[in-house]
Amino acid sequence: MKITTRKMLDRSFSSFGLFSIVLMILALLVILVPIFKRGSTAIVFNGTVEHRRFLLERFERGDEQEMASEITAIQAAQKPVYDMIEHFENRQRKYLDALNEPLTKLAKRSDSIGRLTKRRLKRLDKNKPFLTNVKTIQKLTDRLKGHVDSDNIQAEIEQLDATIQKIETQTKNLVELKEAIRELLGPAPGETRPVLLRKQYGQTRWDRAQVKLHEVLYIEKWDYSNEGMGRKVFEPRVEHFRGTEIEPLFDYMETNTEAMLRPQLTFYWGFLTDKSMDIHIFGGIFPELLGTVYLTLGAILFAVPMGVIAAIYFSEYARPGIIISFLRICISTLAGVPSIVFGMFGLAFLLNGCHLPKGVLAGSLTLALVILPTIIRSAEEAIRAVPRTYREAALSLGASRWRTVVTVVIPAALPGILTGTVISMGRAAGETAPIIFTAAASVAATLSLNPLQVWDQPTQALSWNIYNLCTEHEAANEIQHVLFGMTATIILVVLFLNLFAIILRARISKKLKGETT
Amino acid sequence: MSVTVLKKTSILNTPSDNLVLSSRANLAQNILAWIGQSFLFLVTATAAMIVLFIIFYIAKNAIPFFQIQGLTEFFTSAEWYPSGDPPAFGVLAIMLGSTLVTLGAIVVTVPLGVAAAVCLSDILPFSISQTIKPIVEILAAIPSVAYGFFALVIFAPLLQEEGGRLLMVGWYLLAVPFLFIITIVISEMLTFKITHESSRKTARTAALFVLGGSFIALLIFVGNTLGNLTITTGTNALNVSIILGIMALPTVVSVSQDALQAVGRELRDASYALGATRAETLIKVIMPAASGGIFIAVLLGIMRALGETMVVWMASGNAAQIPSPWFNYLQPVRTLTATIAGDMGEADQVTGSSRYHVLFAMGLILLMFCFLCNLVSEWIVSRQRKKLRGEN
Amino acid sequence: MTQSPATNASSIPSTANIEESQKIAHVTAKDFSIYYSSKEVVKKINLDIWAKKVTAIIGPSGCGKSTFLRSINRMNDLIPGCTVTGDLSLNGTNVYGKRIDITALRKTAGIVFQKPNPFPKSIFDNIAYGPRLHGVTRRPELELVVEKSLRQAALWDEVKDRLPNNALSLSGGQQQRLCIARSLAIEPDILLMDEPTSALDPKATARIEDLISELRGKYTIIIVTHNMQQASRISDFTAFFYEGVLIEYDQTLPLFTNPSKKRTEDYITGRFG
Ligand SMILES: Nc1ncnc2c1ncn2[C@@H]1O[C@H](COP(=O)(O)OP(=O)(O)OP(=O)(O)O)[C@@H](O)[C@H]1O
Ligand SMILES: [Mg+2]
Repeated sequence: MKITTRKMLDRSFSSFGLFSIVLMILALLVILVPIFKRGSTAIVFNGTVEHRRFLLERFERGDEQEMASEITAIQAAQKPVYDMIEHFENRQRKYLDALNEPLTKLAKRSDSIGRLTKRRLKRLDKNKPFLTNVKTIQKLTDRLKGHVDSDNIQAEIEQLDATIQKIETQTKNLVELKEAIRELLGPAPGETRPVLLRKQYGQTRWDRAQVKLHEVLYIEKWDYSNEGMGRKVFEPRVEHFRGTEIEPLFDYMETNTEAMLRPQLTFYWGFLTDKSMDIHIFGGIFPELLGTVYLTLGAILFAVPMGVIAAIYFSEYARPGIIISFLRICISTLAGVPSIVFGMFGLAFLLNGCHLPKGVLAGSLTLALVILPTIIRSAEEAIRAVPRTYREAALSLGASRWRTVVTVVIPAALPGILTGTVISMGRAAGETAPIIFTAAASVAATLSLNPLQVWDQPTQALSWNIYNLCTEHEAANEIQHVLFGMTATIILVVLFLNLFAIILRARISKKLKGETT
Repeated sequence: MSVTVLKKTSILNTPSDNLVLSSRANLAQNILAWIGQSFLFLVTATAAMIVLFIIFYIAKNAIPFFQIQGLTEFFTSAEWYPSGDPPAFGVLAIMLGSTLVTLGAIVVTVPLGVAAAVCLSDILPFSISQTIKPIVEILAAIPSVAYGFFALVIFAPLLQEEGGRLLMVGWYLLAVPFLFIITIVISEMLTFKITHESSRKTARTAALFVLGGSFIALLIFVGNTLGNLTITTGTNALNVSIILGIMALPTVVSVSQDALQAVGRELRDASYALGATRAETLIKVIMPAASGGIFIAVLLGIMRALGETMVVWMASGNAAQIPSPWFNYLQPVRTLTATIAGDMGEADQVTGSSRYHVLFAMGLILLMFCFLCNLVSEWIVSRQRKKLRGEN
Repeated sequence: MTQSPATNASSIPSTANIEESQKIAHVTAKDFSIYYSSKEVVKKINLDIWAKKVTAIIGPSGCGKSTFLRSINRMNDLIPGCTVTGDLSLNGTNVYGKRIDITALRKTAGIVFQKPNPFPKSIFDNIAYGPRLHGVTRRPELELVVEKSLRQAALWDEVKDRLPNNALSLSGGQQQRLCIARSLAIEPDILLMDEPTSALDPKATARIEDLISELRGKYTIIIVTHNMQQASRISDFTAFFYEGVLIEYDQTLPLFTNPSKKRTEDYITGRFG
């Protein structure tokens, strides 16, 4: 080949290598940046007055007086909205009342129409919701249309039907609108307190409020006019209310959302320390964090002593031979077992075999098996890295082998052992598959802070709940910030542990050089 | 002589019999040492035996399934309706799903990983590779559920909406330089034998034009086809393959980098001394010498991809069907791991039924495969060690 | 019991100018051989090392000096495949006999290695390590031992203010003296030193040599060295090893001024080795 071609090949080879490294870095950025960016909005965001109200009412954080003044302010801003709605409702009511006269007239008839009308009218009740009454009449006019026997009655009934139809659509539209507004601003003044927590508050976050505002202003529809896939279209809701008292409401809401919700830059550190409420629609991720901590510490508690002892045996006592190489192969095989198989084993052996309850203990034991090979390997490496001269020195002073190990070798290897332990902690904190069957519960009582009480309790855990929330939560869209926040948290936890390990590792070499005192 | 003995005891601090233990003390010391060692051995053996115990327990729970249902359906049918009446336990589609996803991940990860390893060990200056190392470590440290979350929440919608265009861009990015180089190399190879100077030149130009033209046509055709693809769902085999590929990267990179660095300086120097370029040295000398280690890296990558649960469970679509055609990566698939994770919750209610045991049969298959990979890599390591010892 | 020079006149030359009555054999080797696997590296050695004297072992590299030295307190037990034949007795007790308490043996014969090897602990803990092993646990007692040993090793003045500091922060010479102090702290009878100054500069070497001179008469000291001047300066007796064989063993002055074997002369005058 020509020398130029060879050079070109050489260069392209290098470029491919560089390309793959760039790609790797890019992949890391593409994965981490959006997760951290959106994850941070779980803590730092524009919080509305509803957020502050929630904190005050549920966690008793915040200033009551300030809250009271804020509430006065937003109620003033919201008043026109509810006034308009009330006017509109009154008008509808009047329309319905106006039907009273023709209906009673119909009811006086002695034929089947009269009987039917009379029966229906009895069902009307001022205490029932407005829409129910409207529906009752609507059904009546519907039935009457089939019973018509003379023309002039037909015209009358059709007129009635048209009117009630109009009232019904308007009322229905209004109900939808009110629902949308309630989602944005929270329950209207004077409304009975809803049972579901999520209905008791408006939007706590300005970004979500924006979305909900859009839902107030526009109706989402699917357009199937094209062949094949439907297309989302947005229809201004104001079209439904042209010419009514409500028409200005939309403009008003659009321009005054801020006044109604008063967004403020908020640092919600409670995200990490608050319990979740109404399945993560409010509150933080403390239970998950706590569960992860328990599981991780539990795993370390079981795996480290065993792993370190095995490492001591391998590096200090074992004579090379068939048994030792067999044990080594076993351990490296253990390292290659897929994590879900650990989970199955935990289920079949610990739960179904030993009748442990599904809970922190079973989960920790399973996780301990997962990290055991890593711990053995890193501890053995650390112990082997202890210079032989230390051992010689100790032995020459008359220390027994075990004494040497305990007083000289282990202390010298400790930073290395810790490094491996901390990295394994990261692994254990991030694992999901082993705890699915053995410990994880999507909704569980918040674990007690007393470790002795938790061993038989199933628990939430960051890893499991990320999966669970984003595949099974009924309102996964509403809690995107929580999902991202959780994912960012678990990554940060693991990365911090790794960083800690790196710092430890750096200190080892320093210490061996005698730079620290 | 007796004088000497007397004097000895007077000037030495330790009488000689202090060095000898009484037989009782000696026995006690020996027993203590033996007990201590046995304890250490016992703990170590327990730690090591866990894996045997796992294999035993999974197998014990898998065997009832084969006893009840036999082997045929499990391995040959693609019908998976474990809760149906009658239930169907065909795992073919699921195994195909696992295979597809693993293969896909390997296709993504091996070229990139090995190239990155080569770059880190031989091309980049030491200080830069040192700074890149943490990136590899971070990639390795990110929990799988976070990868799964990314695949499901960010990547899947992107793939669904922009997938065709993404693929097209990727294709151009990779294929343009590759085909360009191939064109030049092939046209040179073809005309290498022609001795006459000027006729070789014309032949080469002709070959360049013909090859280049056909490659450009290929390029544009494939690019357009990819660009016009509509992807019906973003949770599919392709998505999962890419994410698994990224997850397996750190393993492949660090293991093959170690393998490359284990090849000594001398071999490199020898090759450079013969006038080989860096690429030639690496491809013809270093990589063959490190092939065992690189193969282990690939095996570990396979194990990582095959054994991964969360990503596939979240983002593979979980459809227990054979894609049509079977290699269609744009359709949802279902893997062994995801099936175990997803079905165990319900199956555990009916412990003892085929539905419960079939999952263990699947686990056993996974386990056996990983066991095999492990043995193979163990074997390669020991063979290499022998080779090294033989050479020294 | 002890090997008198007279009974073994053929291998050990006369030591006439030191009074017979002063000489007490502390370490006695009889047909003592050491093997690594099957390779014999110390070959049928016979010698007496006299109590409270400084004995230097010299010889070319690889002749088995360290191996012999380490065999005295059985440090070679750590090396897999290392075996011995013949007799090596300490104070009349066979070191390789049955039921030997290795801990007590190593307490009796302390060793200082070629490279200083302090533990990565504080200076205090380094010295206190041995006493702690042998049952001294009370702080005041330990402090006494530490001070005494450091004074003996002529290191006290330099480190008395930094006892809690990491021993690895000391200089090489200081570290070596620390190691000597550490050995002295267990109150041995014998101090084995394997090229204790080879890693040190001349000044540090001089300090160690002074130290050895000060310890002379209090301990039985066996020192391996490559430095002829050093051997002649500090030792009372010198043994010359060559390829595992003890060629010549005599008082230092006669051996250096008037060697009886050709090999010894060649080595001393620098013709080989
Ligand atoms: N652990 C070992 N295994 C096998 N052979 C060894 C071992 N240690 C030393 N030897 C061999 O035993 C012989 C004597 O070694 P030794 O260390 O005693 O020599 P030395 O006289 O101390 O040399 P130097 O002056 O260089 O320290 C040498 O040939 C050496 O190669
Ligand atoms: Mg030596």
